[in-house]
Amino acid sequence: MVTLNSKIPQGPLSEKWTKYKADQKLVNPANKRKLDVIVVGTGLAGASAAASLGALGFNVKIFCISDSPRRAHSIAAQGGVNAAKNYPNDGDSIGRLFYDTIKGGDYRAREANVYRLAEVSNNIIDQCVAQGVPFARDYAGMLDNRSFGGAQVSRTFYAKGQTGQQLLLGAYSALSKEIKAGTVKMYERKEMMDVVLVDGKARGIITRDLQTGKLERWFGHAVVVATGGYGNVYFLSTNAMNSNGSAAWQCYKKGACFANPCYVQIHPTCIPVHGDYQSKLTLMSESLRNDGRIWVPKNIEDSVAIREGRLKPTDIAEENRDYYLERRYPAFGNLVPRDIASRAAKERCDAGYGVGTGQAVYLDFSSAIKRLGKDKVEARYGNLFQMYEKITAQNPYETPMMIYPAVHYTMGGLWVDYELQTTVEGLFAAGEANFSDHGANRLGASALMQGLADGYFVLPYTIQNYLSSEIYSQPIPTTVPEFDAAEKAVAEKIEKLMSIKGTKSVDTFQKELGHIMWNKVGMGRTAQGLQEAIPMLKALKEDFWANVRITGDTNSMNPELEKALRLSDHIELAQLMAKDALHREESCGGHFREEHQTEEGEAKRNDEQFMYVAAWEYQGEGVEPQLHKEELNYEFIKVQQRNYK
Amino acid sequence: MNLTLKIWRQENARAKGRFETYKVENISPDCSFLEMLDILNEQLVDKLSHPVCFDNDCREGICGMCGLYINGRPHGPDDGVTTCQLHMRRFKDGDTIVIEPWRARPFPVIRDLVVDRTAFDKIIQEGGYVSVTTGGVPDGNAIPIPKKNADEAMDAAACIGCGACVAACKNASAMLFVSAKVSQLALLPQGRPEAARRVQAMVAKMDELGFGNCTNTYACEAECPKQIKRSNIARMNREFLCAKVCSEE
Amino acid sequence: MSLVKLASITKKMTIASVGAFLLVFLPMHMGLNLCILREDGGEWYRNVCHFMGTNWIVKIMEVVLMLSVLVHVVVAILLTIENKKARPVGYAVPSKSKTHAGSKWMIYTGVIVLVFLIIHFINFYFVKFGIVVADDSDTYTVEVEDIQKHLNDKVTELQEQMMNGTLSQEQAQEQMMALQLEYMPFLQIAQTGQPSDKISKDGEELINLSKEELKQFVGEDFTEYEPDFYTMCKKLFANPTYSIIYLFALVILGIHLFHAINSIFQTFGLNHRKYNKAIEYLAAGYALIIPLGFAIVPLFVMFCK
Repeated sequence: MVTLNSKIPQGPLSEKWTKYKADQKLVNPANKRKLDVIVVGTGLAGASAAASLGALGFNVKIFCISDSPRRAHSIAAQGGVNAAKNYPNDGDSIGRLFYDTIKGGDYRAREANVYRLAEVSNNIIDQCVAQGVPFARDYAGMLDNRSFGGAQVSRTFYAKGQTGQQLLLGAYSALSKEIKAGTVKMYERKEMMDVVLVDGKARGIITRDLQTGKLERWFGHAVVVATGGYGNVYFLSTNAMNSNGSAAWQCYKKGACFANPCYVQIHPTCIPVHGDYQSKLTLMSESLRNDGRIWVPKNIEDSVAIREGRLKPTDIAEENRDYYLERRYPAFGNLVPRDIASRAAKERCDAGYGVGTGQAVYLDFSSAIKRLGKDKVEARYGNLFQMYEKITAQNPYETPMMIYPAVHYTMGGLWVDYELQTTVEGLFAAGEANFSDHGANRLGASALMQGLADGYFVLPYTIQNYLSSEIYSQPIPTTVPEFDAAEKAVAEKIEKLMSIKGTKSVDTFQKELGHIMWNKVGMGRTAQGLQEAIPMLKALKEDFWANVRITGDTNSMNPELEKALRLSDHIELAQLMAKDALHREESCGGHFREEHQTEEGEAKRNDEQFMYVAAWEYQGEGVEPQLHKEELNYEFIKVQQRNYK
Repeated sequence: MNLTLKIWRQENARAKGRFETYKVENISPDCSFLEMLDILNEQLVDKLSHPVCFDNDCREGICGMCGLYINGRPHGPDDGVTTCQLHMRRFKDGDTIVIEPWRARPFPVIRDLVVDRTAFDKIIQEGGYVSVTTGGVPDGNAIPIPKKNADEAMDAAACIGCGACVAACKNASAMLFVSAKVSQLALLPQGRPEAARRVQAMVAKMDELGFGNCTNTYACEAECPKQIKRSNIARMNREFLCAKVCSEE
Repeated sequence: MSLVKLASITKKMTIASVGAFLLVFLPMHMGLNLCILREDGGEWYRNVCHFMGTNWIVKIMEVVLMLSVLVHVVVAILLTIENKKARPVGYAVPSKSKTHAGSKWMIYTGVIVLVFLIIHFINFYFVKFGIVVADDSDTYTVEVEDIQKHLNDKVTELQEQMMNGTLSQEQAQEQMMALQLEYMPFLQIAQTGQPSDKISKDGEELINLSKEELKQFVGEDFTEYEPDFYTMCKKLFANPTYSIIYLFALVILGIHLFHAINSIFQTFGLNHRKYNKAIEYLAAGYALIIPLGFAIVPLFVMFCK
C-alpha cells in the first residue's frame, strides 16, 4: 500500500525550485563514479538525462529499442518548443507560460511542477543553441519565434518543420559525446521486459535482445524510465510503430502507480483514415493552423454532395462555408487548444457535415495564399504540403487539405513526485512516460519542452537526492534471486505466448483493441460506452491469450513476438484507461465525457469532486487496482472554466 | 493491384541468404509500401511461416529506420522520400518488385531486410557534437548567426541517418552522411572551436569502419530522402584539407 | 578497408591533384600536335619535336609527368579495390540511381585511356628513346655535324691504321675516297638540299635520313637518333584503323575529363553557389575542346591530305 507524497517544496511558487536545489543532497564526484544509473529509452528525455548524468560522472547504461537513439519518436515532433524568453517582446514571461500551461491542461496539473517547467524552459533553448541545434533565425541572426495553439504570444522556437528532430539530434549528440567519453554505455536493440526490485527498491532491469532473443540482466542503483507514451493502445495513432507503453506497464505491475491513464490527447490536424490496411496516422503540424482555416460546408446537402463526389470543395462559395472554430471561438479562432479543436471537428462530423469519408474537415490555405502569396506559404509550410501530397496525392495549394483528429499524446503516465520518482523507490520516470506537467491536456510545443526539461535540468538534480543515500550500497550482483525470478517470469511469459499457436494474428488483436478504444474510450466518452468497453476488453484479453498466433522462433529477430508482448500489456493498460475514464465523472482536457458538457458543448469540469490526480496501484492479476488521490491545491492560480472565446 | 515480390531472406548475419518470391493480391494503390509488406506478413503468419523482417518505426519519413533497396533504388522509385512514404500507386498492377537490404560491409544484415547501421552512431561518437555539457551556456541570442548559415546548417542537419547514401553509392561511401554533420557544425559558430579535430576524427572513423571512398558520383545526393546536398561533401573536403594543412591537432 | 594508411579524403585529393597536373599537360601537347597543320613541310613540327626531345626542362617535366601518371593509376587502382571491398555482397538489381555524367565509369574510361596511352607510347614516345624501333620506311633526323663527325671518325681510324701499318697508304687512300663518295650526297644535301629534307634551327644543321642510310653511317646505334615525327605521324594517321582507335580514345578521354574537372573542384571543396555553374561549363568546355583539338590532326590527315 503506497501513500502519495508529492514532496513539493515549501515556499512561494517562484522560489520552490531554487530552494529545492539549494537544500537538496548531492553526491560528490568520487562517489558518482561508483553509482550506476540505468536509463531506459533514448528519446528527448532519456537521451538528455543520460547525457547529463554521464557528464556529471555517474555510470550510465542506456537502453534503446531501436538501432540508434536517433529513431526515438521525439524526432517526429514538427512544430516547435516553447520557452518564456520573450524575445519578440510581446508580453511573455515565466508566469504567463506557467499560466497558459496550467490553463491548457484544464487545471489538472501540479502547480509546482509546471512552474518549474516554465522556469527551465529558457535554459533549454540556450542549451540547444550551444549544442548546435539550427533553430530558425531572422535576418539579424536572432532566434525566430512563431505562435502556437493555446497561447496569445509567440514563444515557440522552431527548426523548419523538424524541431523535434533537431532537438533529439542535439540530445543524441550530447549522448554520443558521453558514450565516447565512456561515462555512458549504450545498448541498442534491447527492450526492457521488467524492472527488478530488491528490498523494495528498483535495482535493475531485464531486457530482451531483439536480435538474438536473449534475456539479459542489468544492475543499477537507480532506474530511469523514459519510454514515452502509450498512444499505440489505439492502434491507429500518430505514434511510431515501436512506441509502446510496455515498460511503464511493467513498472506499474511492480508497484509504481499509474496516474490519469484516461488523459489522452487527440490531435486535431492529422491526415484522415482511408483504409483498414492503414498502419498509422500522420500528423500535420499544428503550426498549419496559424494560416490555415478550418471549415465544413454550412449546408448539410453540400457535405453529402462532396462525400458523393458531386461537388468539389472549391465549388463551395465563401458564404456557404462554416468556419466553425472562428465562429465558436472568436478570440482564439483556429488556434484554440488541441482538445477543443478536435472535439469541434468531431462534433461537426457527427452532425453529418464531414467531408471525404465523412470523418474529415477542411483545412484551407486559399485565403493565406491570397494574402501572403504562394511563395510565402510555400516557405512556411512547403515540406508539410509536400508530405500531404505524397500521402494523399492531392495538391493542397489547389484544394483544401482534409484533416481529422487522431490520437497523439498521452498526458497520463507513471505517477511521479516533484523529484520525478515513482512510488517505487529508485524508479524514476521522465518525459511522456510520466504524468506530471500537462494535466488533462498538453499545449502544442510543450512536449519537447517537458522532455528536455526533465532530462537536462530536473532529473540530474533530483536523482542525486536519492542517490546520495545510496553511496554505501555496493552493486548487487545480477545473480541474486530477485533477478532470477524476474527473468524467469519473462521467459515463462514468452514461452506461454509462443505455445498458444492460435488462429489469429497479433495485428488482428491490435486492430480490435484499437477499434474498441477509439469508439468507446476515444474523443467523446459516455458511461454507457465505457461500461461496454470494460467487458469487451476483458474478453479481448482472454481471446488473445487463447487464440493468438505467433510464428517464428524466440531466439532470433521476431517482430511478431515483439508486437505480441507489447500488445499483451496494452490490453491491460486499455482496461485501466477505461476504468479511469469511467471513474472520472467530469470532462476535462483530453477526457471528454458527453454527460458532462455545457449547453454550448464545452467541457464541464467537476472541481469539487475531481480536482485530483488519479493514481492507480496494481493489486495483482485479476484484482481491481486501488485508486489513490493526490489532491491538487491551486495556491497561486485562480481556477476557472477554460475560455478561449 | 496484384504484385509479385522478390524479397531477400536471410536468417541471421552468418546464414546464406536467398531471394524468395511471394504474391500479394488486391493491394490498394493508396496503401504505403510498408503497409503492403504488413499485408504480406499477415499472409505469411497465416501460412505459419516467419514474417519478413524489415526495420520501420515512425512511418512518416523522419526516424530514418526504414530503408529498402527497391528495384535498384534505395527507398524506391520516388525522389526525396523514405520507403515508408512510398505509396503503391507508384507501381502498376502485375509489377514484379525486387526488395533487397542495404548492401555495405559496415552494414551487415541482421535478418532479412534488417541491417545493422550502428556504424553511423560510431562515427557520430567520434565528434558529431559540440562538447558542451548541460548548463553553463550563454543565452541563445548571445551569438547572432546569419540566417543563411542557420538555414544551410538546418538543411544539412535534416539528415535522418537512414543509410540510403551508403546503399546508393557504388563504393558504399558514407561521405554524405558524415559531411552533413560536419557541415552543420562547421557552419555554426558553436561548432567552430572543434571543427578541425571533428572532421579528422570523423573521417578517420568512417575509413576505419570500412566504408568506401567517395568518387563524386553523387548517387547519394540523388537518393537522399531529405535531399542533403553534395555541397556538404565539398565543405567537408575543404574543412579536412584546412585541418590537415593548418591545424596543429 | 584501407589498403594504405591514408585518409580516404587524402587519397582522393592525391588522385585529384595529380589529375589536375595532367590537365595542364594536355593543352600543351595539343598545341604541339596542331603545329603539324601548318603548311611548312613540317618545319615547325619538327622543330617543336626536336625541342621536346632535347630540352632539359622538358626532360625533367617528363619524369614528373610519368610519375604523375603512375601515381594517378596506382591510387585509382587502390581506391577501386578498396571500394569493391566496401560492398562484398552486391545488389541483384543493378543501380538505377542518377549519377553525375561519366562518374560511374571513371575507372573504365581511365583504363581505356591508359591502354591507349600505352599504344601511343609504343608509336611515339618510346620511339624517341629507341625502346621501340620505327619500321623501315621511317626517317630519322640527324644533325649534319654528326654525319661529319662520323666521317671524320672513320677517316681518323683509317689514318691510324695507315700509321701503324695495318693498311698500306694506297689502300687507305682508296678507302678514304670511297668514304668521301659515300658521304658526299648527304653532306651536299645538307648544304644545298631542299627544305623538306633540311631543317635548320638555332644554327644547327639537321638532315632526314632513311633508316637504311642512317644504318650505313652509324651501324646498329641508329636508334639513338631522333626519328622524324612529322612523317611518322602522317603515316600513322593515314592508317584508318589507327585513326579510329585514336578518335575513340579521345571520346573516352573527354568523358573522363568532364567528370574529372568537376570532381577536382568538389574534392578540394572549391565550390560556391555562385560559381558552381561556371565550373560545370568549364569542365564541359575543357572536356570538349581538348579531345576536339587532338582529333583535328587525324581528321586532317585522313581527309585533307
